[in-house]
Amino acid sequence: MLRWKYSRPLLVLFVSLLALAPLLGSNPLSQPGFQQTMAVAFIWGGLALTYDLLFGFTGLLSFGHALYFATGVYVTCILINHEVVVWWLAALISIAVSAILALLVGAASLRTTGITFAMVTLAFGEAGHVILQRNFFNLTGGENGIALNADLIPEFWISVANTKFIYWAALAALIFTYVVIWWVTESSAGRVFAALRDNELRVQVLGLNTQRFKLLSFVISAALAALLGAVMLIAAGSAAPRFADAGVTISLLLMVVLGGAVTRWGAVIGGIFYSVATTRMQDLTQQDAFKTIPKWIGGPIAEPAFVLGLLFIFVVMFAPGGLSGAYYRLRLRAITKKSQ
Amino acid sequence: MDTFILIGITGIGLGALYFLIASGLSLIYGLMGVLNFAHGSFLTVGAFVGFWIASKTGFETSMPEFILAMIVGGLAAGLFALLIEQLLITRLYDRHIDQALVTVGVALVVGAVLGGWFGNDLRMFPAPMWFLTAIDIGGAKIPADRVVYIATAVLLLVGNWALLKFTRIGLIIRAGVENRNMVNALGINVRRAFSTVFFLGGFAAGVGGVLVSVYSNGVSPLIAGTYLIYGFIVVVIGGMGSVPGSFLAAMMIGVIRQFANYYATGLGDFVVVILLAVVLLIRPQGLLGKVRA
Amino acid sequence: MNALVIRDLHVKINESHILHGVNFDVPSHKVTALLGRNGVGKSTTLKGILGLYSSTGSVQLNGQELIGMPTYKIAQSGVAYVPEDREIFSTLSVRENLALASRSKTNNAAFESIYELFPELKTRAIQLAGSLSGGQQQMVAIARAMLNTNEILLVDEPTKGLAPKLVTEVADALAKVAEATTMLLVEQNLALVKRIAHHVVVMDQGRVIFQGEPENLDDPSWVHQMLGVSGGHK
Repeated sequence: MLRWKYSRPLLVLFVSLLALAPLLGSNPLSQPGFQQTMAVAFIWGGLALTYDLLFGFTGLLSFGHALYFATGVYVTCILINHEVVVWWLAALISIAVSAILALLVGAASLRTTGITFAMVTLAFGEAGHVILQRNFFNLTGGENGIALNADLIPEFWISVANTKFIYWAALAALIFTYVVIWWVTESSAGRVFAALRDNELRVQVLGLNTQRFKLLSFVISAALAALLGAVMLIAAGSAAPRFADAGVTISLLLMVVLGGAVTRWGAVIGGIFYSVATTRMQDLTQQDAFKTIPKWIGGPIAEPAFVLGLLFIFVVMFAPGGLSGAYYRLRLRAITKKSQ
Repeated sequence: MDTFILIGITGIGLGALYFLIASGLSLIYGLMGVLNFAHGSFLTVGAFVGFWIASKTGFETSMPEFILAMIVGGLAAGLFALLIEQLLITRLYDRHIDQALVTVGVALVVGAVLGGWFGNDLRMFPAPMWFLTAIDIGGAKIPADRVVYIATAVLLLVGNWALLKFTRIGLIIRAGVENRNMVNALGINVRRAFSTVFFLGGFAAGVGGVLVSVYSNGVSPLIAGTYLIYGFIVVVIGGMGSVPGSFLAAMMIGVIRQFANYYATGLGDFVVVILLAVVLLIRPQGLLGKVRA
Repeated sequence: MNALVIRDLHVKINESHILHGVNFDVPSHKVTALLGRNGVGKSTTLKGILGLYSSTGSVQLNGQELIGMPTYKIAQSGVAYVPEDREIFSTLSVRENLALASRSKTNNAAFESIYELFPELKTRAIQLAGSLSGGQQQMVAIARAMLNTNEILLVDEPTKGLAPKLVTEVADALAKVAEATTMLLVEQNLALVKRIAHHVVVMDQGRVIFQGEPENLDDPSWVHQMLGVSGGHK
């Protein structure tokens, strides 16, 4: 096996350390600023994983995944602000709404395959984006979005001193997503997903309804994305149309490809790296040293999309499998060397 | 009645802009199976080059100068498309998903470079004054720029048709859209057709970019956004690989969107997506698309 | 003298191994019939020769190695192909189908001889090929392969799905074509094979299991053992 024998115990140790860090003396994770950065990064890591379930594990190239994330953000926010239900129930309802939405959209778009599927999901995703910007029934707040009413959620979700709770919520959501997707992909349904990706005809020959399995994968990933959306609402404090932008899905694609599709940890690391890199790169370009670079080259570099886009093209062209692919190639070489 | 005509013609004008981007997308997809996310960048590159030409002439641009800006913008976008095809797409021959991913990367990099150089704010596009005059059609006062969009789209449709119908490369492209392997098996290097299609698709998108900047009152690296997505929708509804299908679908969507927006603000986009869902359910291959073997 | 020499040809499609080292020769100016049950890899062999599937091993055309060359170059070196499902371009007219296939600009003599063989193609020149009958489409497919000077013709099940009367018509045309060129023919119709083949190659499970004379086809027990059919028509 390519898995390193110590990887699981080390992972448990590392995650426990991450969870305890805000309580342990002075370290970067005891500062609210970095806790916030990492909370957002964990959410992106989880989202990348839900996207990997579709793209890497089932072979569905969706360009409309942002829709389900945004459903989590918006539905939770609307239900809380209008005092319909208590905050945690609002989150649960948003997950259900997202799953039902995915069921409907998936049933229609899964009539197509491959690249057409990509286009169709993009169209549905953009429709959602547009609807959110329109402020129908005064619900979504149009282009400015809606701020979460802080009076209607428990105190530990607000104030800077309590950022660690948001950090823990994001970490918990990431772990939950990881466990669900681990369970799904290792289950018999997961094996069908993988078979669908590799050879759909063979699955059909086995007498399995391929549509139903694809739809199942689509719905699970949408429901988890809504959960992460609900956490994002608390981390960001507002619901805005940018969460539904096609750019979100494209970022997810980048994260998964950079980290390596078809490996769960690759997607998570890709998501965390991408999120942190985007924030940090903006900080970096504010430095004085950066201002000495001529504008024709410095201007593009100041845009995170420039470096990440180039990196992305490089990975697709020359390093398929991304980070985790490179890791497994190294492992494979080490193992074959040992056995010689 | 005159409002009706005005909305109808504005819709057709908008449809013309959609067609300019969709025609290339459709041919590129039909022939090579490439979902080209970089097509929006071709539009933006065309818009910026056209803007550069037009601003050389000051705030007011004469019609010949504007046509020159369109042609140069189109050529620049076409050459850029050719470069992307030669440099990136051909190396991923038949890896369709990877090709789509690389074009996503190109779109990001181009957006970042243009954003870094020029910023993301709209810059006024110096269009001919004549565009602001109204033309009387059936009692309705139609802004002249709409007529220019429609004329350009029709001109490109006819040019496209003539090229596909009467030249050998056109014959190869049409055959290739239907069955690429068989074209190869006849001893024809179908990749030459790929390059041609990329250039032509880029050209149309570049010309579209100049017109879109007039329609949106200026250029910015962000103007392509919704047009690319509408381009995709048009291609799916019209049928992959069918240029007349794209034309039909583009006009339909432009008009429907304008009417829906007139009678219920903001409903246009929603109606278009409903239309897309209906077409997919009833005719997944699109209006004029062929079922792929 | 062999026009085509195939040695150890392997083809894998989506990780399934279809051809496991195919070896046989196609003699010049003769018709070689490639026989076998359904799914033993006959069509795959033809596509492997043409480079439509990536393959390993060796395929030599008059001494020139074809493996590794792109399909269009293989075709240009003189390998013409009449595919199993005809694969004519249905949105192009008959005339356009032929014009596309013709690689030289001044080719009037070739067009004339085609029209002589299939007069119907001349009268239907502007009709869309997709609206032709199966037999007429097969004529287009054969005509397409004959417009250029070729070293060898690969013909895959030309009578498949045709009415008996059309089978005779296509068989006559193939017999005529066979007089002038080397042919590798995949065909289930044994009557047609007996009529025009000089040489028989039988495949099973991705390998060649027999090479020899077509006279064997007169022996019902040999036919049953080799091809799993009870002789004569399918």
